[in-house]
Amino acid sequence: MELAMKSMGVMGSMVPPSTELKGSVPGNRGIWVGILCELAEFALMFLAYAWFKYTHPEDFHRGPAMLYTACGVANTVTMLTSGYFAVRALLAIQRNDRRSARNWLIGTLLGGLAFLGIKAWEFSWNIDHGVVGTGNSFVAMYYYLTFNHLVHVVWGCLGLIWVILRNEFGAYSAEDHEGLEAATLYWHATDLAWIVIFPLLYVLR
Amino acid sequence: MDTQEKRVTLVWLALVALTLGSAWLGEEGLPVVATALVVALIVAAKGLLVIRHYMGLEEEGSRLRSVMRLYFVVVPALILVAGGTSWLAA
Repeated sequence: MELAMKSMGVMGSMVPPSTELKGSVPGNRGIWVGILCELAEFALMFLAYAWFKYTHPEDFHRGPAMLYTACGVANTVTMLTSGYFAVRALLAIQRNDRRSARNWLIGTLLGGLAFLGIKAWEFSWNIDHGVVGTGNSFVAMYYYLTFNHLVHVVWGCLGLIWVILRNEFGAYSAEDHEGLEAATLYWHATDLAWIVIFPLLYVLR
Repeated sequence: MDTQEKRVTLVWLALVALTLGSAWLGEEGLPVVATALVVALIVAAKGLLVIRHYMGLEEEGSRLRSVMRLYFVVVPALILVAGGTSWLAA
């Protein structure tokens, strides 16, 4: 995570930037190390999901029906919309429109906060309906995947707050917006993980 | 709205439509393998759209783009296998 924060310009670094990949990779090399680590972590969880689905088919067959599907759909649409706002923020700063970039970034952050709000409400609904972590292997997997994803959304929100503040102080321009781009890339990676999690938990039986 | 903005807006609409399609599948109670197949294709399509249009990995021959795209071939394949095991167990 420290690497990801450095990549967004949150922490100073004594390591000179690699020029080898500049221009050929969106954002910077550091954020891509963070993104690939995040996706590798989720890949292991998806393998665990497949294993438990194989060994406990009955739990996974009944599992999605125990969940509030509308919350999963709302979370997915919110995440995709927030990702769209992040792209619009990047396009705005690329034409040096800082004000528009700020508005799109705030929209992105609000999307992230809405995602967290929907998840909190869903967890509360789960508890009221007996969907608790000790229930069965599907429910345990559901909490394991969604809590892990939640942590990444929180990190992403913190990164977005940081780039909103930096943008306010004029840190980004059409020529130099590496930190802003890195934050949006991390956000899209979190979106990618959810794109897989949603059907695994709410659709596949 | 310029061309790029129009393009990403269309991609966003496509992603939302694919999500709603997935949710509909879950409610329809189709055969397990058919659901797994369509879900795997939808996950691959959504992942590849985000990688290309949201993350900007468009450069031909980029190793990073290949790795990211491979992820959205391997993971949907895993979904298909997971769906297949349920079918075998049934």
